Amino acid sequence: MTTDQTSSSLGRGFGLVLLLLLGLTGCATDFGRRGGLSDQQIAAMPPGVQEDYDLFAYKCSRCHTLSRPLKAQITDMEHWRAYVARMRRHAGSAISEDDGNRVLRFLEYWVKQRKQAEAEEGGAP
Amino acid sequence: MKTLLRATLATVIALPIFALGARADALEMERNFAGSAQLDYLAVPTTVDARPFSFDGFTTELAVKLAVDFTPNISANVKICYGCHGFETDMAFVDLRVADQLNFRIGRMNPAFGDFPLRHDPANHRANSKPLPYDMGRMLHRAEWNMSILPSPYVDNGLEVNGTQWFGNDVQLDYALYVVSGLKGNNDALDLDFIQSRSGSLYYVDNNSRPAYGGRVALTLALGDRINATAGISGTYGLYDPAGLLSYAIGGADLYVRFDDLSLRAEYLLRRTEISIGSNPEERFRYGFEDLSKNFFVKDGFYAEVEYPFTPWLEGLFRFDGMRRIGNVAVTSPLRSESAVLRYTLGANVVVERGMRVKVSGEFWDFSDFQDDLVLHLGVVANF
Repeated sequence: MTTDQTSSSLGRGFGLVLLLLLGLTGCATDFGRRGGLSDQQIAAMPPGVQEDYDLFAYKCSRCHTLSRPLKAQITDMEHWRAYVARMRRHAGSAISEDDGNRVLRFLEYWVKQRKQAEAEEGGAP
Repeated sequence: MKTLLRATLATVIALPIFALGARADALEMERNFAGSAQLDYLAVPTTVDARPFSFDGFTTELAVKLAVDFTPNISANVKICYGCHGFETDMAFVDLRVADQLNFRIGRMNPAFGDFPLRHDPANHRANSKPLPYDMGRMLHRAEWNMSILPSPYVDNGLEVNGTQWFGNDVQLDYALYVVSGLKGNNDALDLDFIQSRSGSLYYVDNNSRPAYGGRVALTLALGDRINATAGISGTYGLYDPAGLLSYAIGGADLYVRFDDLSLRAEYLLRRTEISIGSNPEERFRYGFEDLSKNFFVKDGFYAEVEYPFTPWLEGLFRFDGMRRIGNVAVTSPLRSESAVLRYTLGANVVVERGMRVKVSGEFWDFSDFQDDLVLHLGVVANF
């Protein structure tokens, strides 16, 4: 291997390691598995909602990370009903009508939480 | 005959529109906007200059999608992607849904085939690369292999009828049947030409006025809240040359099993592709034809992968995949009458922030006709 080749390899390796280190900074961030909610956020839920969240996390992570629905800018439950119905109709979704209703129950809770958090941020002196 | 066919098609399309018009009741138009972006770096440390047989270096994939519900039964989806080919329309279709069991999809779409295409967006799968049977241009020696069996995303224009039926709360049956333009190639082709399917200079139209057909059936079982499984079979058939003499047929089977957080996926695909022998086959092909009716080759492949989130910020992946080609080859091809490639992939996703991940993976490539190589990937993917 020539000097040029060695430095080229080193340069590539350095870039890879740098990006990996950048990625590892995420270790301290507050979120749960598959981009879901953290243990603290789940523990703060009313008991019934915790089960609904578990089902939401299990079913919705079949095709995508949980960040998609959790970060979606949807605050209207009619909109969520149409959205969940569309997801439910995807091939292999494994989301039955009952499952869909439980997913919606969690999303209703999540919408309220987000609205409350936004109101607190907006109303802070 | 063509007039009759057009009239039938028009009736098939018009009927659900009338049916839906009567049910176009109160739902304000809902819009969902979503997207993703991935930057991936591919390095081949075992070869000094890998450019002649790979796209090493950076590649970017970007996708934005808009879904609009006009009424509870009529919706439209448009998805624009940016990648190695520039901007492409991945989806532009309208869904006319009579019931969950009967939906008419019209326009430019991903015809239903297999399991992986459902999550082909880089934000929706953990590996940096696609499984070999679905690879689109990032495999090593892609030109010699002419890519994979069915490069994903497979995008085509046409009509798809699909639906889903639940039996109780535990069993889901999905189906899809479609008529589309089909894959393309030349009259003197030795294989499909995937570039023609995305080349505006050749127009995004059927090159031989003979539609291709296909479909998929999948059965999903939900065994309690924490276990479910889906098994599916898919198939498509069409003629790909302008003269309409050369056919392709692709079949596939897929299995997905989820135990709590552990996901297992496996698929098998097979493509039989007819080739043009020409007037001087001895000058064109490496091997002689004992039987001129056997003017085809077979390409099959598989992948099996397991994926598990070890912690909220670390997700692991192991994948074993491979591909094989059996049949005559051009005299200039480095492949033989039977060539194969196997790949072993070990990867991890480091979750930087909800919606943003660093993907890292190592792949060992074992070729029957080329030097074995190691590939390293490092990528960043975000979705919104």
